[in-house]
Amino acid sequence: MLTEKNKLKRLGNQLFFTGPTMLFFAMAVLIPFIYGFYLTLTEMATPSSPAVFKGFHNYVDAIRDTRFWDSMWLTIKYVGATVVLVNVVGFALSYLVTSGLRGQNFFRTAYFTPNLIGGLVLGYIWQFIFVQSLPSIGEKLGIEWLRLGWLGDEHMAFWAIVIVTIWQSAGYMMIIFIAGLISVPKDMLEAATIDGANAWQRLTRMVMPMMIPAFVVTIFLSLKNAFMVYDLNFSLTEGGPFGSTEMVSMHVVQKAFVEYKYGVGQAEAIVLFVIVALVTGFQVYFSKRMEVEA
Amino acid sequence: MNFLKDRKFNSKLGMVALTAALSVSLTACGGNNNNNASGSPAASPAGSASASPAANDKPVTIKITNGKGEIASQWEEAAKEFTAANPNIKVEVYSAAVGDTLNVFDKMTASGDTVTIAMFDPDAALHKYADITSDLSNEKWNADTESALKNAAGQVIGFPFAIEGFGLVYNQKVLDQAVGGTFDPSSINTRDKLKDLLDKVKASGVKYPVAYETDDWSVANHFSSQFLNQAEDPNTISDQLKAGTLDLANNAVWNGYYDTLDMLVSKDYNKYGERPLGQYYDDAHLSVGKGESAMLFNGNWAYDSLKAVAGDKFGFIPVPVDNNPDNPLNNKIAAGATQVLVINKNATPEEQEAAKTFLNWLVYDPAGQDFIVNKSQVISGFKNNPNTVTNPLGAAIADAVKNGKTMPFTTNYVTASDYQTILGPDIQKYIAGKETRADLAKAFETYYKSKQ
Repeated sequence: MLTEKNKLKRLGNQLFFTGPTMLFFAMAVLIPFIYGFYLTLTEMATPSSPAVFKGFHNYVDAIRDTRFWDSMWLTIKYVGATVVLVNVVGFALSYLVTSGLRGQNFFRTAYFTPNLIGGLVLGYIWQFIFVQSLPSIGEKLGIEWLRLGWLGDEHMAFWAIVIVTIWQSAGYMMIIFIAGLISVPKDMLEAATIDGANAWQRLTRMVMPMMIPAFVVTIFLSLKNAFMVYDLNFSLTEGGPFGSTEMVSMHVVQKAFVEYKYGVGQAEAIVLFVIVALVTGFQVYFSKRMEVEA
Repeated sequence: MNFLKDRKFNSKLGMVALTAALSVSLTACGGNNNNNASGSPAASPAGSASASPAANDKPVTIKITNGKGEIASQWEEAAKEFTAANPNIKVEVYSAAVGDTLNVFDKMTASGDTVTIAMFDPDAALHKYADITSDLSNEKWNADTESALKNAAGQVIGFPFAIEGFGLVYNQKVLDQAVGGTFDPSSINTRDKLKDLLDKVKASGVKYPVAYETDDWSVANHFSSQFLNQAEDPNTISDQLKAGTLDLANNAVWNGYYDTLDMLVSKDYNKYGERPLGQYYDDAHLSVGKGESAMLFNGNWAYDSLKAVAGDKFGFIPVPVDNNPDNPLNNKIAAGATQVLVINKNATPEEQEAAKTFLNWLVYDPAGQDFIVNKSQVISGFKNNPNTVTNPLGAAIADAVKNGKTMPFTTNYVTASDYQTILGPDIQKYIAGKETRADLAKAFETYYKSKQ
């Protein structure tokens, strides 16, 4: 039986453990988010001028902004390319460094290291590679398609961002995959070998189904990161050439802080949030159903 | 987990939790207050601003916002020197951190402070903050500058704090070698003469005489705004465009600038001619700085990026628009105020008077002149300022200001953010050969009509 005092005690206990988290979650996420939504219903001339209520006008503007949808489409292409490639490369690397290679611990560290470098720094480093290093290699060796800087061509600039993304995040996904690979029961694989399964069959029929939880996490992370990409986009191409690599986050920032349309920019950010929430939500829901037990 | 069942301990725990929660929320509030307070400097004088109307000899405090974070300490020093000369006026300077996107003026206004003098870029002063600026047309210093910022009604609203200019930045050594003597920038006043010069540079063994990176801000905000200078007042042209009465496709000056651009970015002359876009800023500036190329299009701020050996000479050639050597557009450098000081009309009359005294001190007092040019290395817009900046490109602009060889800095007459984000991609597509001149003219006309 719960007396008043007991209830209070329980509440006190619960607050003790969850209170600080709730407080900071509210301060850093919940309240700014609600306030941000409120801002989409208003218009402000400067950040300090009073907010004028405008209803859903900003959303209409956001939906009519063709460049917003162009950059959204580009982002979706980028998401498609990076989610597939990051996971494939990450998985391949993890398979490689758990296969008993000599010095595999060194390689684990080496592949993970790019993730420790911030996106901005990475962007500037790779800008140098794409604009200076590769062209001079192309010139020295007479390779025609490498002779010119990558970032001046819209397609090559897009793939430049994809390449750097893979380089940056494949190592991180690799660590998650290693954890998944190690947890696949050895006896099961042994039994499969005795039953005559070859390496490919073991990989596709045993190891990969057992690793669905790892894939859920890595695909979720790479989806979310790809939709939200900004720093790399900014430092590597700045959206150029002629605005052809401007991803959706960058477009939102431009709308709000370059063109000073705070309300419209914020509304576009909310639209982006809804899309990302839906996509990742579906992804987690459906891939959870694919999980199997040994 | 035994202790959770212990009631005594538990109530203590509850107390601790409650205290912790309370103190966190208290500090949160306190933090807020601190934030507001941290805007004001430690040494806040007692008899401070927004006092009730007072006699002129009563102490006044003026608050200045400085948008150029790199000269924050110079401003502090200037404030002290000014107060030493004018003991009744205290000056508080609030500087933006370098790279801070939220400007100081907004922050201070939001927290209830009245800024007396604010530093804005001209576009912000004319539009975003138009309703706080006051009329400075009757100030004495107007006679000594041609760079004061006027609003559409013709009133002077901005004191030119920093002058900047753009043109074809050239490396003197390379051009001296090409012409076989001392190169004189005023000798290039037609497009054909520029072409001749580029050919001579090529003949002297330089593979690519031009290393122009055609970044969107450069080719849009700077290069593509130049055609506005065909009228005495650049606003005339933008008004005609907004009204839809100017046919750009048949406008000689507009076409002329793109003919020149075609030449500058062509495969024959430009290092990046084959693939003209793509983050070449550093490479372009190093090429000209080291003398591997002769010139690029940029402004006086480019000097640091050139990373030139000290003592090497650089200067500006005006961008030629046609083949008429008497056309003023071919003989003048586009230069003007890129940072202006405005006086907030919401400040008290005493504060506004004190602010005007401060502006005069900047122009006429040797200490004020020294602060702007020698200490801050900012190009002065005033002919009576005897000092010169050390940066050779800045000195070239300052020379042009003194000799009246400048024309309006056209970037100040366009909405720079729109030019970069709306027109920039079209101009870059034109450079990359993915759009025709007619398409480009149409893009300009559509843009201006949308601004009506």
